[in-house]
Amino acid sequence: MKNRAERQPLPLMLLCWGFVLIWLITAAFPFLWTLWGSFKVEADFFSYADWMNAVTGTRTIQQTGSAFTGAGYEGAWVEQRFWLAVINTAIVTVCVVVISLTIGTLGGYALARSGFRYTFWILIAALIFRAMPHVTLVSGYLLPFFQLNIWGYLPTTIIVLVAINQPFTLWMLHSFFLSIPKDLDESAMVDGCTRFQAFRLVIIPVMWPGVVTTGLFSFLLAYNDFTVTSMLLTQENQTMVPKIASFLGTVQAENKVMYAVAAVVSAMGPLFVLVLFFQRQIVSGLTAGAVKG
Amino acid sequence: MAQLRLVNVTKAYGDYVGVRGFSLDIKDQEFLVLLGPSGCGKSTTMRMIAGLEDVTSGEIWLGDRMVNNLEPKDRDISMVFQSYGLYPNMTVYENIRFPLKVRRVPAAQQHDMVMRAAQMVELTEYLDRRPAALSGGQRQRVALGRAIVRKPTVFLMDEPLSNLDAKLRVSTRAQIKNLQHTLKTTTVYVTHDQIEAMTLADRVVVMNRGEIQQVGTPTDIYDMPANTFVAGFIGSPAMNLIEGTLANGSFTAEGLRIDGLTTAHSGNVTLGFRAEDATITRQGGQIAAPVYSIELLGEASMISYRIGGALVSVKAAKDYRAAIGEIVEASIPAGICHLFDTASGKRLGAA
Repeated sequence: MKNRAERQPLPLMLLCWGFVLIWLITAAFPFLWTLWGSFKVEADFFSYADWMNAVTGTRTIQQTGSAFTGAGYEGAWVEQRFWLAVINTAIVTVCVVVISLTIGTLGGYALARSGFRYTFWILIAALIFRAMPHVTLVSGYLLPFFQLNIWGYLPTTIIVLVAINQPFTLWMLHSFFLSIPKDLDESAMVDGCTRFQAFRLVIIPVMWPGVVTTGLFSFLLAYNDFTVTSMLLTQENQTMVPKIASFLGTVQAENKVMYAVAAVVSAMGPLFVLVLFFQRQIVSGLTAGAVKG
Repeated sequence: MAQLRLVNVTKAYGDYVGVRGFSLDIKDQEFLVLLGPSGCGKSTTMRMIAGLEDVTSGEIWLGDRMVNNLEPKDRDISMVFQSYGLYPNMTVYENIRFPLKVRRVPAAQQHDMVMRAAQMVELTEYLDRRPAALSGGQRQRVALGRAIVRKPTVFLMDEPLSNLDAKLRVSTRAQIKNLQHTLKTTTVYVTHDQIEAMTLADRVVVMNRGEIQQVGTPTDIYDMPANTFVAGFIGSPAMNLIEGTLANGSFTAEGLRIDGLTTAHSGNVTLGFRAEDATITRQGGQIAAPVYSIELLGEASMISYRIGGALVSVKAAKDYRAAIGEIVEASIPAGICHLFDTASGKRLGAA
């Protein structure tokens, strides 16, 4: 039985639930709508006649003989070679995450343990660079990249994305490291570790939730980036997000818009898997301070 | 031999000097306690011995090796930290084994060594637990176990008891004393608690403001404090200190006169005596003043007076009672008195 103190007045309960419901609809509905619509033909999903067509799929039945069709997916993946963009995205995100985390953990640790005052200024500088619009970096890079003839390749994009992402990973990991008492490093060193062993054997295992959380944010930045990838990559090297944009922008012929819808749904999948998989680490990382001896 | 020698060790942070000219020989198997108020440089000294802090100048010798430039791991020491410094992601067993693993002790010996250490600190039932599931006292014992699992040349303990509650502190204190006796390892122990220092130490180093004030056995420190700082720091209550003037073997201060001091000094001096050396008397006492307060300690009653600006305590029998404000006499014979130079604080010979 609930005790008196926990019981809440009915209007308040209704208000709370109503709020959650509104939030759920505004946040989740577009996704569900897109997912549902991706299996229809364009005439239904973008119907001029009646929006209910997208639900019932009248035209879809007329055109394909079934209420659901995989035509959008087939077109995007096979005809437009969306799988290439998927591979490119995988390469870019994995590289960005690995490089950002390596530099971020080492740098964050060094900054957190350094007693010098310049660490503060480094972090402030990092914050300023983080606050700048991404496009500033890109416009500055464009000309040198053309002249050096390295424009359009994946490694170039990876470097730029790491540069954009690094200040944030440094900040985040720095504060995680600060929450780990210095005594831990020191007892490891007295116990026989070098500084680096102390970092690898003692600090990183304790830091794991923080590393996972930071890694996830880095992943999202690289995965969702449009500014950098759209401007720095050639057509065949494009990652998913600019690819989807190009579906919407240039392939305006009948039915091609559905390619974009199908591609969008395909791009959402990995995110759900990732969040579900790392859910526990992310939560403990976000609530931090999980490092009490 | 596990002899530790510090020669003129100094630590400076810019203009601020944390430890100044610390020189000391620590004998093999000795239990040495560094005692002082917070910020006196005792922890810094220990951290320099451990190698966690660079030495600004001077030399630290461990046996016949000069260790100034060695990494902590190469100094063959083990250390217990105030906040324990346990690895939260490892079990008790793994925590204790960690130093062996990192130092590549053959795997076959590791288990026996861990079990022996765990037995010594009475942790055999908790080996599978993580530090978070242990009480403060148990965590402290894990830290101890990790320190004793291998045979280091020197143990360093940085206020290991200060996070424990009073009762646990007493029992863990006894345990540390016993462990050190069994293992016969040279130990340096840092504390601000003078009772810990008195009970544990073979020798005590009293420090203040980065400098050694006195080095000696607990008895030396208690009975023959080298200066007013040590006198006022050691003992509970600390030694009574009264400023006054000395002439022809007679000490005079406001409301107090003590004759028959066998000393050739004269001028401004500070007179000290311990509360338990003085006695309450019916008449003829050197102090005859109203009682400022009376505290019942159980094993004794503590009478205090206000003499000049200072609060002066005298220990009386446990059934002694007096009202506040009542005039009570206390006898302070010349024989129990210590004399210090008021200006320098230094002890004056032959009191």
